Amino acid sequence: MFFKQVWRNAIRHRKDNGLFFGSLIIAIIAFYTLLSLKEQDVMRYLAAVESVAVSKLFKLIPLVYMVSLFFVFFLVYFACKYQTDSRRKEFGMYLMLGMKYSRLFAILFCETFLNSLISLLTGIPLALFLTEGISLTTAKLVGLGIIGHRISFSPDALLYTVCGFTLVQLLSVFVICMKLSHTEPAAFLADDFAQEHEKNFSGSGAFFFLAGVLLLIIAYAMGMAVLDTLGFGAFFMVFLFGTLGTIFLYKGLGYVIGKGIEKKSRRKAGLSVFTARQLQENVFCQHQSLAVSSLLLLLSLACISFGIGTAAGSHETRTTDLSVKGSDAQIQSFLSDEEIAPMIETAYPMYLSYTHTSRDLEPVKNAMAKLPQSDLRDNMMENITDSCDYILSESSYNSLLSAMGKVPVSLNPDQMALFSSMSTADFTNIMNAALNQNVTIKVNGAEYSLLPCLYYDNIVADRMISLYTALIVPDEVFEEIADDSEPFCYNLHLSESVTAEKGLLAALSDMGEILSARGLEYDSYLGGIGRNLFYTVASSYLTLYLGILFLLIANTVIGLKYLIWQRQNKHRYITLLMLGENRNALCQSAKSQIQTFFNLALVIAAINGIFAVFSMFRSFLRLPSTAAFLLVALMAAAAFLLFILTELVYIHVVKRTACREIMELKLSR
Amino acid sequence: MNLNHRILQVDRLTKIYGKGTQKTEALQGISFDVLEGEFLGIMGASGSGKTTLLNCIATMLKPSSGKILLKDKDISSLKGNALADYRGHEIGYLFQEFELLDNMTAQENIALPLSLQGISLEQAQKDILQIAERFDITEVLEKFPPQMSGGQKQRTAAARAFISNPGIILADEPTGALDSKNSKILMDMLAAMNQEEHKTIMMVTHDPNAASYCSRILFIQDGRLFHELRRNRQEETTEAFYDRIVTVIAQLGGGSANVL
Repeated sequence: MFFKQVWRNAIRHRKDNGLFFGSLIIAIIAFYTLLSLKEQDVMRYLAAVESVAVSKLFKLIPLVYMVSLFFVFFLVYFACKYQTDSRRKEFGMYLMLGMKYSRLFAILFCETFLNSLISLLTGIPLALFLTEGISLTTAKLVGLGIIGHRISFSPDALLYTVCGFTLVQLLSVFVICMKLSHTEPAAFLADDFAQEHEKNFSGSGAFFFLAGVLLLIIAYAMGMAVLDTLGFGAFFMVFLFGTLGTIFLYKGLGYVIGKGIEKKSRRKAGLSVFTARQLQENVFCQHQSLAVSSLLLLLSLACISFGIGTAAGSHETRTTDLSVKGSDAQIQSFLSDEEIAPMIETAYPMYLSYTHTSRDLEPVKNAMAKLPQSDLRDNMMENITDSCDYILSESSYNSLLSAMGKVPVSLNPDQMALFSSMSTADFTNIMNAALNQNVTIKVNGAEYSLLPCLYYDNIVADRMISLYTALIVPDEVFEEIADDSEPFCYNLHLSESVTAEKGLLAALSDMGEILSARGLEYDSYLGGIGRNLFYTVASSYLTLYLGILFLLIANTVIGLKYLIWQRQNKHRYITLLMLGENRNALCQSAKSQIQTFFNLALVIAAINGIFAVFSMFRSFLRLPSTAAFLLVALMAAAAFLLFILTELVYIHVVKRTACREIMELKLSR
Repeated sequence: MNLNHRILQVDRLTKIYGKGTQKTEALQGISFDVLEGEFLGIMGASGSGKTTLLNCIATMLKPSSGKILLKDKDISSLKGNALADYRGHEIGYLFQEFELLDNMTAQENIALPLSLQGISLEQAQKDILQIAERFDITEVLEKFPPQMSGGQKQRTAAARAFISNPGIILADEPTGALDSKNSKILMDMLAAMNQEEHKTIMMVTHDPNAASYCSRILFIQDGRLFHELRRNRQEETTEAFYDRIVTVIAQLGGGSANVL
């Protein structure tokens, strides 16, 4: 009988709470997708080419998993509370019939366990299907066919998903049972268990609202103006002011709504006053949940923007496909091979050499000194005079630019250009601003003017070889002052027909094998692809993952909080029915309350989000000038659309549930 | 009281709960009339059917058979909007637990029935002040129910019941949640509304004190009318009527323990 009851209850509650179960299944899918990351084709490939960075990422996964568990706990807790609150009479009756608290709790635990099991049985196959799909799609997109597809099933991920999810469920029920154990049977049986809230609609409300607005304005101003210059301290202050401001704003919002009602209610008829008062009370009683949900929505927006930003900003420019080291004779014999020649589009020597001649780069430093102060500028000023030990020949750098289809550098005999592979947006901007001031330097006693822009296209295939600064000098000057007159390496560009036929990845791998077979040392752009992928997958995957999780939790909390509250106050709807209102009008009122309740969380999150994302892109996530605007805009639009769609689905489900409950209200007392 | 005008006619009303062997007949063919301006009390033991009767008249329950005519209109067949209209326009309901909306001020609560009929608070202001004065709640009009005493809450609920000028006020144990002092204040005010404004009131109660304010009392037992007491206000004091009520309650069998 015990198990029959548990089984029946579990089925009934799943039917009644589609919103809750949908969220649980999404949580399971999210857990498994995160934990099975190691088994994805892309990650297996990256682990081979970028083992250090990937192992760092894998160390981060348990932390993200723990953070997710923490947030999912709240989702599950609210959902379980919603379910148990709606069954209080049933519990009271059990207790009055002589059931012990321990047995009641055992029923609840068994039901939860059964529900967890069914959620897992639904969620895990979906998760497997999804991860397999992601794995195959990404592998196809980046052309990883050569390493072969492997089923991405991960027993470890499955184990941790099951354990984590069940643990969170049981812990939520445990906390609820602890609360229920202090409740008398009479309190369970009481018709209305809504606690009397002290109606303090005046006084401090105005203060909190104004304080909230003020703190938010300060946070916005700080975020826009000083976040990029003051570092962690400023970041902490923006975070503190923003969070406190949001909490205060919601705390005082009930008062503002009340003032609005006093002004407008006198001229309105129908349920408008009731709807507004309901909303006011809801905001007043649930201001903490609203603030937390709004902040979670903000986090979600920020995470998704960060994910898109890092994904779009991490693209490395492909300057050359392979950089081969070897003697002139070796290379020439290799290139003249009948089998090899058709595969190579262009090949040129790259002249890069250390120089011992005297150099005076103080004028560059002085030009930087005239620019606005920042940590990066100070750092660059310290390094510029000591770091410029390398020179590049103009013709070899021009060969690189021509192969990329860019305009070559044109140097007069008394001109030089500055090169750096540290091509972050800030670095380039500061350097360009300094070079724009007609800087003249001294090399080997002669004066040379520097071209007014920085050159940053990587001179070898693998970005791991980096030069802080180097001088691009005319060929005659190079011959005169270079320590080493031999080419540093030969850059090869594969022919388009080969890359089109095999895909860049396979073509690079094949050529690499041929070079190894000939005993030639080489660097390949394969590493660049790896890093590109790694940045995209690591930063964007984790942040998008957290973003979506926060989005789901925030919506579920808002939705469930509203529904719990409506159920607690259902006697009001009964009174209105008695006073002659029809059910459809009550449903309209509830819908309007739900829409506004969600909007209140969303609007503040959106305003906060605009400033947060703007500050983020102005400070630590500045997109490189090479990032394709259209791509970023398209990704942002897609994410925004997904965000709106999620909100619409949640709002629709909550409205439908609320109306169903109103339609089912019984009038007889 | 208008002796020639029956505002409510209850004709052979039955209400059966359950089916087959589980069948319970809560009302077994009750018939009576309520005259315009009358203050009618319904008394009876627990389970006698008095609340079922009130719920049927209030359209909270559908009778199994029989008719309920309010102003000559059969209300037992009303549905949808017509039912909502009936509740909003023709009856005022006074609940034992007040059932005020505690997130609305007293005046917003009082204005609610009018508001549902499309009349704004501004338009209803004069009526609200008038009725608030009548029930001595002018001072609490801007307050929320949790800031009011039990007596003030029930008087606000009473003002809400009267504001739309309904044909009949149905009161379900209106003094049930009040202390004796506030019960007396409320009953004095209801009686005044009945005698001075000629409002028709039908009240279900256990309390002989409250019942002694009525002009007529119907006693119900096992779903049937058992006894009727009438009071001539000119000749009989409230105290004398109270004594007669207590006597009938004792005769109903088992004294107050059985009734309450």
